[in-house]
Amino acid sequence: MSQPSALTNRRFRSTKLAVLYEWMVVSVLAACATATVLITVGIIGMLLTQSWNFFASEYVDFGYFLTGSEWSALQAREIENARFGIWPLLSGTLRVTVIAMLIALPLGLITAVYLSEFASTRVRGWLKPTLEIIAGIPTVVLGYFAILVISPGLQWFSGGAFDTFNATSAGIAVGILCLPMVCSLSEDALHAVPQALREGAYGLGCTPFETAVKVVVPAALSGIISAFLLAFSRAIGETMVVALAAGTLATATLDPTVQSQTMTGFIVEMIKSESEFGTVQYYSLYGVAATLFVITFGMTLLGQGIRRRYRESYQ
Amino acid sequence: MTLPAALRRDDRVAQAAKAKHRKRLSYAFYLLCVLIAMLSVVVLVVLLLSISVQGSSRLSTDLLTQSHSELRPAEAGMWPAIIGTLFICGVCALTALPLGIGTAVFLEEFKPRRSELRLLRKWIRLPSQTWNGIANGLFRALRWFHGFIQLNISNLAGVPSIVYGLLGLSLFVYMFNVFGQIKVNEADGWELFGVQHYYQVLSLERGQVVLIPMEEGDPPTKKITQPLAGVTTAGQPIEIQVWQPGTPKPTGAVERRQTVRKGATGGRYSRHAWYYFRLPFGRSFLAAGLTLSLVILPLVIISTQEALRAVPPSMREASLGLGATTWQTTREVCLPAAVPGIMTGSILSMGRAIGEAAPLLVILGAAIAKNSGPKHLMDDAVTMPVLIYNWAGRQQEVYQELAAAAIIVLLVVLLIMNSLAIYLRQRLRQK
Repeated sequence: MSQPSALTNRRFRSTKLAVLYEWMVVSVLAACATATVLITVGIIGMLLTQSWNFFASEYVDFGYFLTGSEWSALQAREIENARFGIWPLLSGTLRVTVIAMLIALPLGLITAVYLSEFASTRVRGWLKPTLEIIAGIPTVVLGYFAILVISPGLQWFSGGAFDTFNATSAGIAVGILCLPMVCSLSEDALHAVPQALREGAYGLGCTPFETAVKVVVPAALSGIISAFLLAFSRAIGETMVVALAAGTLATATLDPTVQSQTMTGFIVEMIKSESEFGTVQYYSLYGVAATLFVITFGMTLLGQGIRRRYRESYQ
Repeated sequence: MTLPAALRRDDRVAQAAKAKHRKRLSYAFYLLCVLIAMLSVVVLVVLLLSISVQGSSRLSTDLLTQSHSELRPAEAGMWPAIIGTLFICGVCALTALPLGIGTAVFLEEFKPRRSELRLLRKWIRLPSQTWNGIANGLFRALRWFHGFIQLNISNLAGVPSIVYGLLGLSLFVYMFNVFGQIKVNEADGWELFGVQHYYQVLSLERGQVVLIPMEEGDPPTKKITQPLAGVTTAGQPIEIQVWQPGTPKPTGAVERRQTVRKGATGGRYSRHAWYYFRLPFGRSFLAAGLTLSLVILPLVIISTQEALRAVPPSMREASLGLGATTWQTTREVCLPAAVPGIMTGSILSMGRAIGEAAPLLVILGAAIAKNSGPKHLMDDAVTMPVLIYNWAGRQQEVYQELAAAAIIVLLVVLLIMNSLAIYLRQRLRQK
């Protein structure tokens, strides 16, 4: 029997040189890891310094920014007439996000339950790739789908009650976008529930429905909630769908049939308008971006906290 | 004394009725599950069908070879966008993959171990009590650092891509204005190499220009009053003659090409070699690629970590037991075993990068009037998703159809990449 090549050419040996080499490699890899921390530092630093330019301006009142219901950064010709209250944009984001969640959360969770509890291997074999393909569709494509199919469909269905660009069509498209994410994360959580719990439930005479709803889902609840929060933060930060399908009018309302500019939609409009660098209107986009970042970051942290704190472990 | 209701009722009959009801409910739930699971398939089919119906009439070789045209939309195409996407994703892959895989290897394979600290003990002479305290503190700090990076990466994965775009704008496009602001015809930032500036002056021959090399610090325009040295557009050095209006013009074509009117002003004209490099990067495809690499970095790290975690610990232990160092183990054992998983993750991340539009919109702007790929490192570019966004936002039917056709091309590219990833994973499972 021939010796393995690693033994014949003696590459596995720990000499002093190898130890030195080892430390060098570790330093390089640690530098890579530190770079990822620097990205976070960069994002926070950039948002703080740039939005400081906005909030420190004499035309901007921080209290009004948090509570005001008029946003006219792009519409106002003179800076004196521009009003900076975040609620129109925030309400637009909320309208789109709530509609998206109404679609993505139930559908995603039920699909996940189906995949983990009922589906045969054959069904899983093609349903999972289908969901992965949906997850891989670029967001701009879904935005186009919203204006091509969903919006005319809604108008036809409701007899013209919806605007051409409206929060509902954008919300449905964002929901389609989030569905695979909710599904795969929830399925991971359901999958982690030990088989013994299911067998126990069946042994006590539960039907498959009762096992799934009363035993498996509660056992995986922390993972499912964290999946919901991640999907929520993804929907809030979604840009291209709302830039294409939600319209450009920022109004503080709860009506889902009208145009609704979201925070991300405003950032895109501002970038596209080629507004003069250094004006208050230009810096207002950083104020909006900082708000967006705070919300999504909070959601992500909360999701991780819930998953860590309430994780049921079955050892 | 009366018996409680539960005891008086005939249990078996009630149970049987209830069981029937429960079974029916369970079956109804099963049907609901199937229905909803089918719904996602239906959505996908509707999406693909509607887009193919809308875009099929525009699928032609023109679409792949021509560039965007405002005047003749019927012949518009996406060639510059294809090349631009290729360049930007190339930059993105070159930076994000090494950085991401390196970070993942650090997090998975180089977890802090007390035994590693013992190596330091040889060089540091301390009473063992003190040393134990220090080693303990050091070990805790290292472990905290690991956990912190891990937490940080999961947070980065949740940051909206448009925020990365704004970071890229500050970090790569303007570089915090450390090197000055770039303004057209005024300031160029720090140009390190690969560029020559000229004054461009019209010669007497129609449509021909001469170039006068520009020195650093020269004003952006120059009035020509006396003969001076210049070059032709082909780069040949010539002596530029000056023609005083009112006197007879030179007659020969060659002389006319080397003569300019007295008082003519030359505007700025720059020639860039492909390796042209300046700080800050400005709205260039390099900045766009680097920004995109920030967006996909968390995805690359997380998928690589999963691939490394799937390597059985026994292989690692065997290698360490033979006396290999951690890095030797990683390089010879773990990485080769994890390659299919890492490749799957990398391909999926690159698929995400190809379809990403928001950060590129921030970095490069929404303009799509470019008829070639990037010519030098600091050149701007058009990408497929930005082109689709621009076309889809227009009212005219022809651009709507073009957008659908471009989406078909984009989806075909992504489908090829995704099926490659799925195929790799299937092969991995069979092993």
